[in-house]
Amino acid sequence: MPTATLVLMSDEIHDLPAAYHGAVLHWQRHNFPEYARLTEDWERFFPKEPQFCLCARLAQNVPGGIEVGDRAGQPKATEPKDLDPEAAKGLLGIIRAQASTEFGSIQQHQQTLARAQDPTDQAWVLRVMAEELRHGYQMIHLLTSADWSPATDQKPADMVEEILSMKTGSHVLAAFNLEYDSFVDNVVFAAFIDRVGKYQLTMQKVNAYKPMAASMPPMLREEAFHLAAGVIPMRRWAEAAADPDALITMPALQKAICKWFPRGLEMFGDERGGETNVKLGLKDKANREAQDLYVAECEQMLDDLNRRHVRARFTRLSREEADAVYARVKVDRGDADGLSWDRDLLKLPDRGFFRRRGEFAFQPIGFSGERFDDTEHYVGHVRDRLPEAYLASLDVKHWADLQRAVSGGATALKDAIKSMPRLARVGGACPCANSVRWVMEIPEQETAGGAKPKQ
Amino acid sequence: MSDEVRVRPLTELDIDGITRIDERITGRYRPDVWEQRVGYYIRRDPDSSQVAESGGRVIGFMLGEVRGGEFGLEEPTGWLEFFGVDPDARGRAVGRSLCEALLTYFREKGAHIARTMVAASDADIAGFLAAMDFVPAPLTALEKRIS
Repeated sequence: MPTATLVLMSDEIHDLPAAYHGAVLHWQRHNFPEYARLTEDWERFFPKEPQFCLCARLAQNVPGGIEVGDRAGQPKATEPKDLDPEAAKGLLGIIRAQASTEFGSIQQHQQTLARAQDPTDQAWVLRVMAEELRHGYQMIHLLTSADWSPATDQKPADMVEEILSMKTGSHVLAAFNLEYDSFVDNVVFAAFIDRVGKYQLTMQKVNAYKPMAASMPPMLREEAFHLAAGVIPMRRWAEAAADPDALITMPALQKAICKWFPRGLEMFGDERGGETNVKLGLKDKANREAQDLYVAECEQMLDDLNRRHVRARFTRLSREEADAVYARVKVDRGDADGLSWDRDLLKLPDRGFFRRRGEFAFQPIGFSGERFDDTEHYVGHVRDRLPEAYLASLDVKHWADLQRAVSGGATALKDAIKSMPRLARVGGACPCANSVRWVMEIPEQETAGGAKPKQ
Repeated sequence: MSDEVRVRPLTELDIDGITRIDERITGRYRPDVWEQRVGYYIRRDPDSSQVAESGGRVIGFMLGEVRGGEFGLEEPTGWLEFFGVDPDARGRAVGRSLCEALLTYFREKGAHIARTMVAASDADIAGFLAAMDFVPAPLTALEKRIS
């Protein structure tokens, strides 16, 4: 079939002013050198698809009226000064956190990208990274295309500088401070953590600040692929794991799930909060409501992966028979025909397991929801469920130390919740030279920001 | 379980349901094929392709998208490319609901025409498409065996 070349887009395209555009590219050279390979890989793996564009995209036809909260029915703000002052501050925090996650995930993926066993899986993650770069670019566009002085004294250049200076360990959210141990993390992260991203972006489609609301549909289109870049390789791995000689096993996947799922839950914010965001028109769901939907979707994902595994394991059975075996083992939490619920199948940990923030922070709750009286038993229980390589990380040591300190009364819970493995929020200037900032002063005539014609 | 049929955009979690429907229709279990296809449509435009579900189960799917430039047809065209309905769910207007959802989306994306192809021997599909007001196009599908 002749290649289709025309793709209809209704997005308005924006470049950042040259100083910020240059800063993002400079950051990319240090943190994402594989980006240079993207064009070649794109031709090979995504030949019919429009070329990647490092730009900000704003959807057209976004509703003009505020959809939720106290100002519902009023026009959406097009400038921060038009927002409720509390909403402007809250939104600025959301944009900075979102930007941190986008750049942070690239730093994480980059650590193990080269270790992929399959070139297609690797190309998919490379594309995910490029699209995360675009999402970070989009957030910088929001920060630098408007006057945020009603919400902060910080200058736009300093906000961008702060975001680009963050490193794994100093990002806003814990999920972006964990180092990857292998390419399994690239994939499991996409399936679990990008799924939280999908929820956050979906909730923000109603945002009372119109440029934020208009940023969400293009980001969501790309995020849908990021979830596929997690689930599809996991499906293949779950099937391959039916072979006794499999290199990536179901227990290995289970341990990766135990590493990421608790951090994913925490990305929704404290389960008891989030109403303020709804009241201010920034999101359409409170934290617990969104988290409940996320957990249900993760359950559905694991059912899908488990069924694929069981089908491959019992090739003599029909689909209906294999599905029935899985359903029986799941209900009984037992064994059937050599298939073990505990040993062979993927399960979601209890929401209280291995938590550091939110309603269950530092409560000694086990994988199946059981409570531990003895802190050392609890630390050992969590340890036994995490990936071996991850146990040697600063992150796990930091958690274990804090768990002991909170349980023993030496550290207050509120202090433990705030504690991060590396306290430096700002990691420093560009590593090219200590005196150089990511954002460089560029003469006015060389700046090139602004809207482009629609594509 | 509710009998209500809900049509919504395709997601990566629908692969198993689509594979199951394909297996029921063709007798072949082809998870890899559907992973590739679903991955493709999600990358291209995740809002375009649709699935129908009832009682939490996928009972039909229709994959397609708006493209231009195919066969020298420059105008934006809604291409309807793969679809299937669970045999147990037939008679519930699932195919019609899916088709209407895709056509609505194609219109929103600026397409004024939808196109598809059907095997001459496939009377069921041809009948369904005719019921959806698809008519023979002034194009001829040609082929030549080269090996």
